[in-house]
Amino acid sequence: MTDFDALLTTLWRHDVAFIVVGGAAAIAHGSARFTQDLDLVYLRTAANLDRLAAALADHKPYLRGVPPGLPFIWDAATLARGLNFTLVTSLGDIDLLGEIPGGGTYEELLADAVELQVFRTRCLCLSLAQLIRAKRAAGRPRDLEALAELEAIEEEGG
Amino acid sequence: MQDLPRPDPDPVVQAYKKDIDRTLIRENLKLTVEERFRKAMALAKFAEELRRAGREARRRRG
Repeated sequence: MTDFDALLTTLWRHDVAFIVVGGAAAIAHGSARFTQDLDLVYLRTAANLDRLAAALADHKPYLRGVPPGLPFIWDAATLARGLNFTLVTSLGDIDLLGEIPGGGTYEELLADAVELQVFRTRCLCLSLAQLIRAKRAAGRPRDLEALAELEAIEEEGG
Repeated sequence: MQDLPRPDPDPVVQAYKKDIDRTLIRENLKLTVEERFRKAMALAKFAEELRRAGREARRRRG
């Protein structure tokens, strides 16, 4: 089970710049759909990669779905060489995304993101309008069902 | 991000929307963001427990 409390607190304590996206963002806006991981778009500056690497270092990050035992070094250099990382950690599953379809990078999402005060932390989250745009852009069958719920939340005044 | 005009409603999305349980949404909207996350985590814990019980039941049945 993903411990949203512990993951968000850890990232906040390490001053990581990120925006909550995906199913967790939908939950923040009132979605009743189930999600098993925390999806984030993170700022890809060298300093933020260092902070992100440090934040998760104690929580055994490893590539999700990859057989155990393969060489995987968790550090800022690994983050710099990739863009999107789907990870399992001791605090639960987390997806680190350099950008998202229909939204772009951290910098592009920042202006319209909303601040959440949650679990004694502050973090940024996609606005409902951004989330709807991102789901529409993703366009996968499962996104269409999620999109229907997000539009219903908007109609209900969420 | 620029606020672009909404595209025409997708008929598939509109079809899904008819089946959305709006009572769940209305209840969630009464909660704080933190309460929404805590509810989601409780649901995940419950689902995990059901999976475990299902695995045990299948093992007992052989």
